[in-house]
Amino acid sequence: MSKLFFDHLIVLTRVDAHVKAISQNIEEREELWQLVDELVHHRVMDLILGSLPEEHHTEFMEKFTEFPYEERLFVFLNEKTGKDFEKVITEEMKTLEDEILKDLKPRKKKK
Amino acid sequence: MSGIQPTQTYHEIFRNKLKLKNFEISDKFLKKYPRAADVLKKKNLTLQKLREHSAKLMGAGALTGALILNSPTMPAQITPIEIVQNLKTLGESSTPIENSQENLISSLRDTLPKRTRPLTREEEKHIEQIFSENIGVKAKASLEGEHLNTTYGLIGAEQHLRRYPGDTIATHPKVKAGDEGMAPGLGAWGYFAPSKDKMTSDIVEEEKWYAVVQTLYLPDWKARLPYLREWYKHRKVLIVNTDNGNAVVADIADSGPAAWTGKSFGGSPEVMNYLGGARYKKGPVIIFFVDDPENKVPLGPVEYNTMSTGMNILKV
Repeated sequence: MSKLFFDHLIVLTRVDAHVKAISQNIEEREELWQLVDELVHHRVMDLILGSLPEEHHTEFMEKFTEFPYEERLFVFLNEKTGKDFEKVITEEMKTLEDEILKDLKPRKKKK
Repeated sequence: MSGIQPTQTYHEIFRNKLKLKNFEISDKFLKKYPRAADVLKKKNLTLQKLREHSAKLMGAGALTGALILNSPTMPAQITPIEIVQNLKTLGESSTPIENSQENLISSLRDTLPKRTRPLTREEEKHIEQIFSENIGVKAKASLEGEHLNTTYGLIGAEQHLRRYPGDTIATHPKVKAGDEGMAPGLGAWGYFAPSKDKMTSDIVEEEKWYAVVQTLYLPDWKARLPYLREWYKHRKVLIVNTDNGNAVVADIADSGPAAWTGKSFGGSPEVMNYLGGARYKKGPVIIFFVDDPENKVPLGPVEYNTMSTGMNILKV
């Protein structure tokens, strides 16, 4: 089994369509899936730790590494940040998807 | 320098960009959040290894841990006592054939959490019994020691797969409405047949009724790759739409979807069409392995409302 507590909020459908379109085989496709996955983790963790007061960083990371799949972590985050963190992550993922898609498109040569 | 080098593919360009971006962010993260970095270091973890770490924890049975119980964001699990009571009730009742589908939907509604998530072994055992009683197909969450990363998740519409070199959408069978077209790449196990003249009616059915599961996220996928690749290749699964009870037997023919698509499984255009109709693109399903050592269960729709159910195994 594999699950992170924020997985249900990450829906990068347009990126997936591009990845499938530019991959020649399953190895290429899975490599890109993995790299995008890492990018998502980094972005979500930056978002969380950037919003969470520093004195709670250790406690959050202890809980997260012990129960990475546990959606109750949102209760902790909402309480400590005063934000609806599911909403915050959902919004951030829209931005991330746009950024990735921008990177996917080949740049036009300057004349 | 801009533009694409003649020797680079789009895949390589994108891969390099992502790698660079990940490297930069990872480096920045460690400096920006020293307390978080200390916890990761103490536990010998990196952000890149989080999913693998989660897979190991969940595979080790941590899901049944106390934290998940009474979680305000996750529905409560049924207790072992309730499961035993439910199993007794199932065993005692004789299910009228015409009500099988309604009974199935009702039983699943009583058992499943509102939002999809990996189920506990107890929940899976209960659902196996429900399927056996109502659908009549012997299906298991764990078969020969193998278990998917989750058995209850969202399924998404996939495209047709190329069956042999030169196969095109023009000659490929399609669903009447809402067909997804042909996938640009091959399935995880390559072509179904080496050439068009090697196609058989069985192979046609294999592509027609194919399923996609996340083999890449199995905790031991890399370590046991040669064995697992063969084990999962065209492995039969029972897919049940938990909203309407429609059921189909499919074979695993591709890997995916990515974890960041919000989906756990994929279905061919024909699978999706049968599960939910032409507009059905995503929805909750249960996927169990079909226990069919003699290869008697055919691929395709399971019309269990018109057949003998109860403890009988599907007659073919």
